[in-house]
Amino acid sequence: MKRSKSLKLALMGATILTMSACDNTEDTAAIFKDVDECAQFEGENLDQCRQGWEQAAEEHVRTAPKYTSIAECQADFGEEQCEQAPQQTSSGGSVFMPMMMGYMMGSMLANGTRSNVATQPLYRSKDDPKTFRTGDNQKVSTKTGVQPVPSTVTKAPSTKTSTVRRGGFGTTAARTSTSSRSYGG
Amino acid sequence: MIRISIQERENWQELAKEVGFQFHTIDGEKYWDESACYRFTLEQIEQDIEDPTAELEQMCFQAVDRVINDESLMEKLAIPQPYWDYVRSSWQNRERNLYGRMDFSYDGKSPAKLLEYNADTPTSLYESAAFQWVWMEQAMEQGLIPPDCDQFNSIHEQLISAFRAMEIDGTLHMAACQGSLEDEGTVLYLEECATQAHVKTHFIHMEEIGIDADGRLTDLQDNVITNLFKLYPWEWMMREEFGEAMPTSGVTFIEPAWKTILSNKGILPVLWEMFEGHPNLLPSYFMEDAHKLTGGFAKKPIYSREGAGVSLHENGQTLEEVKGPYGEEGHIVQALHPLPVFEGNHAVIGSWLVASQPSGIGIREDNSAITKDTSRFVPHVIRE
Repeated sequence: MKRSKSLKLALMGATILTMSACDNTEDTAAIFKDVDECAQFEGENLDQCRQGWEQAAEEHVRTAPKYTSIAECQADFGEEQCEQAPQQTSSGGSVFMPMMMGYMMGSMLANGTRSNVATQPLYRSKDDPKTFRTGDNQKVSTKTGVQPVPSTVTKAPSTKTSTVRRGGFGTTAARTSTSSRSYGG
Repeated sequence: MIRISIQERENWQELAKEVGFQFHTIDGEKYWDESACYRFTLEQIEQDIEDPTAELEQMCFQAVDRVINDESLMEKLAIPQPYWDYVRSSWQNRERNLYGRMDFSYDGKSPAKLLEYNADTPTSLYESAAFQWVWMEQAMEQGLIPPDCDQFNSIHEQLISAFRAMEIDGTLHMAACQGSLEDEGTVLYLEECATQAHVKTHFIHMEEIGIDADGRLTDLQDNVITNLFKLYPWEWMMREEFGEAMPTSGVTFIEPAWKTILSNKGILPVLWEMFEGHPNLLPSYFMEDAHKLTGGFAKKPIYSREGAGVSLHENGQTLEEVKGPYGEEGHIVQALHPLPVFEGNHAVIGSWLVASQPSGIGIREDNSAITKDTSRFVPHVIRE
């Protein structure tokens, strides 16, 4: 047979719901608001809790949403919820980011390793303060402790920065044609 | 290879709407045309299209090797000098490629001739990979064609495994230009394939891409872009404002930068010089050697898409010409090898490669000798 054996189109068609339903896998994650809460949890110890926290705090600098004004940051995360980031803009201006409100890591397994969850900071937004969110603004959970979470939130979040300019691509297409229906070919 | 008139599926417009195939009719003109199909034998497919496609791809790799090591060729291909090292290292690092489409003139009897290789931004992918496949399954089910047909089309499966093999770390941003339903449809389809390979995707328009203080590319949420599929030509990106940021942006591009050598019409004279007389190649020359061609020829801009700027000449006369905005970077000439005509339709075969493996074909017909963006897509079957 010279053709594909099956073909499933979920995003483009009406079958999108069935597709995402069977793709909903979960991971077990440990979520804590700080080192103390972690250390009190059965199966965790202070050293490991601190280690996880430090790793998440490092990720925090890289993956927290970035703002060039504190007001913009506060609009998303609330008063007193933002701090200055170590990064600077190209002109030497300050960069702001929300404070880390908790952290997520893999749950402790019997063999002393953790389940496959990228250790990362968690945030709470102003309009939904009960929910922990990842640096990529994905909802994780409203509670702390060891629990199942969607596997879509357990990957390492992307690096955040502040954009200084947009529109530097696409100018040739705009100049080249208004009649062509594709810029590929 | 024959053209057969057949009955259309009754509900195909509704189905097209349902599965997101929005550009089946363009400006009131039919683009998807299932009132006919082409029938091939397995031998025609395997010996005349699939095998030559695989062989030409290997020849193309040798040609890339040749070009990156020859600055005069980099110049002839109009690759901007500041990007030479970048293009070279993308090849030397064996950056993975996703897909490409070789266009052949083939009549079912004589060897298929490579007209050009759209190696960077090929479209008509969705209709080849998916809608054509669904058409055949349904047409067999509805008794419109015999029930034992096959099709040269594993593009969909191959795309998913290609995305899987790329082992993409983090999010894959996928970009098309604003205002092209066809390009957005193509990217949406590829997003679908990537998702099925468990790659996390994020769509963005080319125009929306930003840059940060360190020269990294960003999306609208200020995420740093680390993997970017772009349905947008390398030669344009290299000449645009953010172009100079690309080599140090840390982005893995799909297609990789070395594809700019293959999607360039200048590769055709390079191939001819290296493999003169190969049955699947047409004599081709840069303009300075154009006198070496006797007989009719096609003149093509080094950078050109959808037939724009191409003209056909014979006996001192211009047979046909498509106006277009391309050509300032120079032209090549290629011996004239007119497309076969089936009941008044000039048919070109697009032979798809996924991760450099031949994976299927799509046929476009035009009323004139140059295939343009007004051509029609006609499905095919394999049956003895």
